[in-house]
Amino acid sequence: MKNAAKKIYLGLILILLYAPIVTLIVLSFNSSKTRSKWGGFTLSWYRSLFDNEAIMNAFYTTLIIALLSAFIATIIGTAACIGMQVMRKRSRSLFLSIANIPMVNAEIVTAVSLMLIFIAIRMNMGFHTILISHITFNIPYVILSVMPKLRQTNRSTYEAAMDLGASPMHAFFRVVFPDILPGVLSGFLLAFTMSLDDFVITHFTKGPGIDTLSTKIYTEVRKGIKPEIYALSTLLFVTVLLLLILVNYQPEKKASPVKKTITTGFRIRTAMVRRVLPALLIVVVIAGGVYYSSQGVLNSDNTVIVYNWGEYLDPDVLDEFTEETGIEVIYEEFETNEIMYPKVNSGAIAYDVVIPSDYMIQRMIENDLLAEIDFDHIPNLKNIDPTYMEQSRQFDPENKYSLPYCWGTVGILYNKTMVEEPIDSWSVLWDERYKDNILMQDSVRDAFCVALKYLGYSLNSTDLDELTAARNLLIEQKPLVQAYVVDQVRDKMIGNEAAIGVIYSGEAIYTQRENPDLEYVIPKEGSNIWIDSMVIPKNAEHKENAEKFIDFLCRPEIALKNFDYITYSTPNAAARALIEDEDIRNSVIAFPESDQLTDCETYSFLGDDVDRIYNELWNQVKSK
Amino acid sequence: MSNKLIDLVNISKTYDSNTVLDDLNLYIRENEFLTLLGPSGCGKTTTLRILGGFETPDSGKVIFDGQDITNLPPNKRQLNTVFQKYALFSHMSIAENIAFGLKIKHKSKKYIDDKIKYALKLVNLDGYENRTPESLSGGQQQRIAIARAIVNEPKVLLLDEPLGALDLKLRQDMQYELIRLKNELGITFIYVTHDQEEALTMSDTIVVMNQGYIQQIGTPETIYNEPENAFVADFIGESNILPGIMVEDRLVNILGAPFQCVDEGFGHNTPVDVVIRPEDVDLVKPEEGTIRGIVTHLIFKGVHYEMEVTANNYQWLVHSTDMFPVGTEVGIRVIPFDIQIMNKPLSEDEEAVNIEE
Repeated sequence: MKNAAKKIYLGLILILLYAPIVTLIVLSFNSSKTRSKWGGFTLSWYRSLFDNEAIMNAFYTTLIIALLSAFIATIIGTAACIGMQVMRKRSRSLFLSIANIPMVNAEIVTAVSLMLIFIAIRMNMGFHTILISHITFNIPYVILSVMPKLRQTNRSTYEAAMDLGASPMHAFFRVVFPDILPGVLSGFLLAFTMSLDDFVITHFTKGPGIDTLSTKIYTEVRKGIKPEIYALSTLLFVTVLLLLILVNYQPEKKASPVKKTITTGFRIRTAMVRRVLPALLIVVVIAGGVYYSSQGVLNSDNTVIVYNWGEYLDPDVLDEFTEETGIEVIYEEFETNEIMYPKVNSGAIAYDVVIPSDYMIQRMIENDLLAEIDFDHIPNLKNIDPTYMEQSRQFDPENKYSLPYCWGTVGILYNKTMVEEPIDSWSVLWDERYKDNILMQDSVRDAFCVALKYLGYSLNSTDLDELTAARNLLIEQKPLVQAYVVDQVRDKMIGNEAAIGVIYSGEAIYTQRENPDLEYVIPKEGSNIWIDSMVIPKNAEHKENAEKFIDFLCRPEIALKNFDYITYSTPNAAARALIEDEDIRNSVIAFPESDQLTDCETYSFLGDDVDRIYNELWNQVKSK
Repeated sequence: MSNKLIDLVNISKTYDSNTVLDDLNLYIRENEFLTLLGPSGCGKTTTLRILGGFETPDSGKVIFDGQDITNLPPNKRQLNTVFQKYALFSHMSIAENIAFGLKIKHKSKKYIDDKIKYALKLVNLDGYENRTPESLSGGQQQRIAIARAIVNEPKVLLLDEPLGALDLKLRQDMQYELIRLKNELGITFIYVTHDQEEALTMSDTIVVMNQGYIQQIGTPETIYNEPENAFVADFIGESNILPGIMVEDRLVNILGAPFQCVDEGFGHNTPVDVVIRPEDVDLVKPEEGTIRGIVTHLIFKGVHYEMEVTANNYQWLVHSTDMFPVGTEVGIRVIPFDIQIMNKPLSEDEEAVNIEE
């Protein structure tokens, strides 16, 4: 009885720990694109993973950085341990504590400090800054695993070797090193895995145009994570698992019963020291060198540094631009406006073109971060539908700083087979008949947008009475809502799991392709219209190239290419005319009539105080 | 005796503010078995480490075979060390351990193989080539450490308390083994120990050290029978160290009673220390002794009885094959030859002597 309980408890813990990873692994073999349906076993995600150049590049970068940084950190850390070993006890424990602090330090602090120091010494961000940062944060881990081994070694073996005629170097490598090798190896592997999955530090110290896996995956968050990433994550998990097994296997070997004679395992270990390690060193150094020299030169004058959302531009467009103009594009991606802002604000990298959203552009204008665009240099401006220039005045009142790139609305996605009449109002979200069939967006502004608009107020309202009314309405709605979600609206609607959901128009086209029963509508009360526009930061070093690049993106055929790739609405009227598929060209989802947009507003940056009120009220809704 | 091989000249060494060696002078002859003996912290191991090249003296010189080797690193010195904790290379086989020094000197494979065989035979461990150090007993490991050192044909072998970690029986066996080895090899042994019995058994010369100073240098017999000061007397074997006054040549007053002795030249009425070994104290009938006392303790030790006798307010330690029960009144007598007279410490050097107690 007791035993059975023990086993059940153990089983529960294992399920708790590994269920998420198992889900991920299973989904990586799911041939259906949505997470909610099992469409049969497939290896195609793995295949397309290896065909995806951007991901494979990021993977290669990650591997090189992990290997190189782990290797260099191991050398530096081991040397530091040897130095500490001969220190007096007081200074040693002092030094050891100092070396340990970075490990318990919050990663974000380390990351920001590294970024600041690179800015302070005017080092350009790139491969080398990531490498230096990774080496820095890896050293304490190496020290942590080498030091105990070194303390265990008998100092007189080193002296004995010298006594027998060995030079200090020979004595160290022949006698001391084999003794501490398990510690050195586990230090290396620990450093390797730490580097492999680091996101925060890499994010703050990377330069434009270079990505590791973690930063690459993160940039894709906005458009939803693709199944290729499940496949990649599965591979990563398996790799790290194998490494961990390797690390933990080493000390166990030591503890095995004493062997009378030299064993083969022993021979293998010796062989490893003599041959495998130097070979690995050579491979890593050569690979690092080749990779490093293949990296573009940042300071070359004929470049343009572009900072855009992840998956927000057809990669071919960049090649075409370079081919035509000879200007090299250094392309970096961000995942949210909030992450983009501090990087531009810090001036660590002088971006030439950035594509943020409306309210963030307003904030950047207010903080004097943007340069005026010389529209004389952008003849293709004529292709942009004036409606969107007009809408842009909400955040760029004089149309001086920005040029619309993509836009969309927030609306209702519904399943025609699951509702009784055509839907045209937010009121449906408060309809008792659809209890437990409603999906709401789990974000403050979008949720309040729905309530405020339903009540007939501005979605940028700062009136406390209006906001309180909106809160009450949202609380009233709560029993009807199946779930508050972000990405899953798309998947759940495709999987017929809900009848009605609040969603972005850009997702709507995609979901309709997957499930023809779905229909998108902008409610008659009005909604949010969001616009992502191209801007040029004030500290841009290649303003002329930036304007050339913006003009290039405004060409009809280029804008069309990007539309096909992104599927979000384009403000480019000339591009829309080129769309071959009539259904899409005339899609009211992608291109609603302008009278439908009259009651739509962009979000404004409301200031920190009002932000706090919104969050407070939203918390009251969620906690009810 | 043969020539001087090593000369330590005015060696001083200080750690932090702790003086370990103070102006030490010592020479070692070829073929000598010399033992540095003293309590822990006396500077004997530091002296050995300076000889081995693991420490550099703050001042002074190390002369080896006429050459100044003070600053020569250990790997360039013609001497080898056997360490207290064996210091075998655990990831190498026994053969690889022994071959370590020879491989560095690029000897031929044949030469190395022969040397390994020879050395293993010498330490009575033939056939152990492929064993690992951890599969050997402590005594065997120590013998391998010796084998590993001697295959390099050093002129001097330094041994740092090599038997310290072994049990009593093994230690005694190894003592004979070491004497045999030294005789077969015909090289100089410099041996460090805190065990006076070990020192007395094996050495040609014993250097008794305390607090960084040499207290006495001499053969085992001299050191035992004629200790130069109270520290040596106390450290080597057991002894009664009594305050006395040298009345005149060959007459000393101990605890108020006159004793005949053989020492001369201490002057008249000079305060001295007197050493009498416990086995040299004769217990006789009360009326026959120089002074009288009462037996207060009695223990049977096997070869002899150990007794304590209180006489003239002093606890005399006595070893005797005759037994006197506790409470017996006895007389104490010492023949003149067994009374060893020493000067009271006067200089700073000699003051160090008593602090350790």
